[in-house]
Formats: sequence, C-alpha cells, structure tokens
Amino acid sequence: MMQSFFEWMQGLPFSAWMLEETWASPIIQCAHLVALVGFAGAVLVVDMRLLGRGLIKTPLNQLARELDRWMIWSFVALFVTGAPQVLSTALKQYYSPFFWWKMQIIVIGLLFNFTIRRRVAFAEEGTLGHWPKVVGFLSIGIWTSVSVYARLIGLLS
Amino acid sequence: MRSLFEWVDALPSSIALRESLNAYPTMLTIHVVSMCLFAGLIAYWDMRLVGLTLRKVPVSNIPTRLFPWALTGYGINLITGGLLLYSQPMRYYGNFYFWAKMALMLIAGINMFWFHYATYKSVQAWDQGREIPLNARLAGIVSLVLWAAVVVTGRMMAYSGLMPGWWNNLNIGA
Repeated sequence: MMQSFFEWMQGLPFSAWMLEETWASPIIQCAHLVALVGFAGAVLVVDMRLLGRGLIKTPLNQLARELDRWMIWSFVALFVTGAPQVLSTALKQYYSPFFWWKMQIIVIGLLFNFTIRRRVAFAEEGTLGHWPKVVGFLSIGIWTSVSVYARLIGLLS
Repeated sequence: MRSLFEWVDALPSSIALRESLNAYPTMLTIHVVSMCLFAGLIAYWDMRLVGLTLRKVPVSNIPTRLFPWALTGYGINLITGGLLLYSQPMRYYGNFYFWAKMALMLIAGINMFWFHYATYKSVQAWDQGREIPLNARLAGIVSLVLWAAVVVTGRMMAYSGLMPGWWNNLNIGA
C-alpha cells in the first residue's frame, strides 16, 4: 500500500515537471538549505540556553517564546520545500532507509518539541532541576540526526 | 593557480581521500551539520542587528555568548570544506559556484571586520535599546544576504551543468 502511494506520487504531473524543469530542483534545494539554517539557529539558541550555555543572561522562557515562531515558520518552510523533493524522487526516497529514519525522527522531534521541550523551556527557571539540560541535549541530538539522515539520502541511496 | 590544483589532485593523500567510499559522505555530512551551527547562530545575530528578533537581548551579549560556538562551527566547516576541496580539486577548479562561494565568503568576512572595527565600537550607546544605528542594520542585512548566498552557491556546486554560459565560454575547467 505504501509502495503504491509512492508510485502514485512519482507519477504525478508535478513530479514530472520537477524533473524536467532544469532549475526547479536546484532552486527548491537551495531554499530548503536556507530554511534549514533558520530552523537550526532557532533550535540551537534555545537548546544551548537549556544546557546553561549561550544567552544565559536572558530568561529562558522569554528566549523560547520569542524564537518559537521562528522555529515553527522555518519548519513550515522546510516542509514546503521538502515535499516537492519527495514527490519528484518518491521511489528513490521509498527505497532509502535514511528517508524512513529521517521521517521517524522528525515525528519524534515534533512530538518531543510540542509536548516536553516547550513545557520545559516555557516554565519558570529553577523549578525543573536537571531536566532542562536533558531536554536541550536530546533536542540537539534529534535535530542533528535529522540533518545527518537527510544528507545521507542524497549521498548513499 | 591551475597547476597548484593539478598538483594537489595528483597527491597520494588526495587520491586516497577521493577513492575512499566513506570519506566524501562523512566530510559532506559534517560540513552541513557544522554549517547549521555557524550559519544558524550568525543568522540570528544578524536578525538581532536588523531588529527582526531577540530585541530584548542586549546586542553585546550575542558576540560574547554565541560567537565562540559559531566560530567552533566555522572552524569545523573550514576543515571539512578544505578536505572536500583537497579530495577533488579539479572538480572544483572549473566550477563557477565554487569561486562565487569563495568570493562571497571573502566579502562576508570583510563586512564582518568592517562592522567589528567601525560600527560595533559604539555598541554601548545602543546595546540595550531597540533603535539600532543604520550602519549596524545595514551590516546585518548585508551579512544575512551574503551568508544565504554562500549557502546557495555551496549547494549549487553540485550542479556543474548549470553554470552561466559566459563562464563555460572561458573553458576554465577544460
């Protein structure tokens, strides 16, 4: 069932257009990379603060609330520029283990962010013991894994 | 310049790196991850200067607290980028986007030094305020555009078939 879904995506006129149009893939890939930088910065500034590094003179919840919208909108940009790449190379993605690992970790990352990380980052500082450090460390690990697997789809698939 | 690239290309260590199955994916992956660390933090510093975000954070806090991390990312980025170039110098020699990226990095560096030694000297006067001087805002915009262009040209290096016609006419890579 999943394979036929990917075959359907690969067969869409939009996928054919993406492959035929010389500049479509490069432009979308470049935009994806710029969005990645925006996302990584927003995540890192808060995660480093959770780890007790970086902008320690600024209250954590203030920093987290301000960068939350940048993180969300950068992720939206990553999705908007990532989806056409998946559509146009759907079967390559389907047969790549890195694609599936990347997707699983993205889901874990989103769940982790909207359930645990946000709650810890938005809480009053000093009330959660060592949990902010654990959360910051896990968040950096999760999103680093996503970018590593993303890079490996193109290189080793 | 070409003979230097050809000399490196023929070095046994360059050939060994080029022929290794794991070296290229490993270096490129570390290059991308370290780019996220460096460019991600620099982007938010630039956006603070422009006044787009982190407006309650004193400007001088960012270089003090974030630049050591950004520079660590930059250092790793330089090492992995250097190794990528070392492993395939002739692939990059004729690549327009490689030279464009190098030129953009140089201009971004000049912009950074100019800002640091000119505009940033008066930071105490506007450190806490929401009103950033025009020079600082301009430096932030220029830096954002330049580093985005560095990222874009870096990605475009993979598309050797999409180089400008005038560049192809120069036959540099031939």
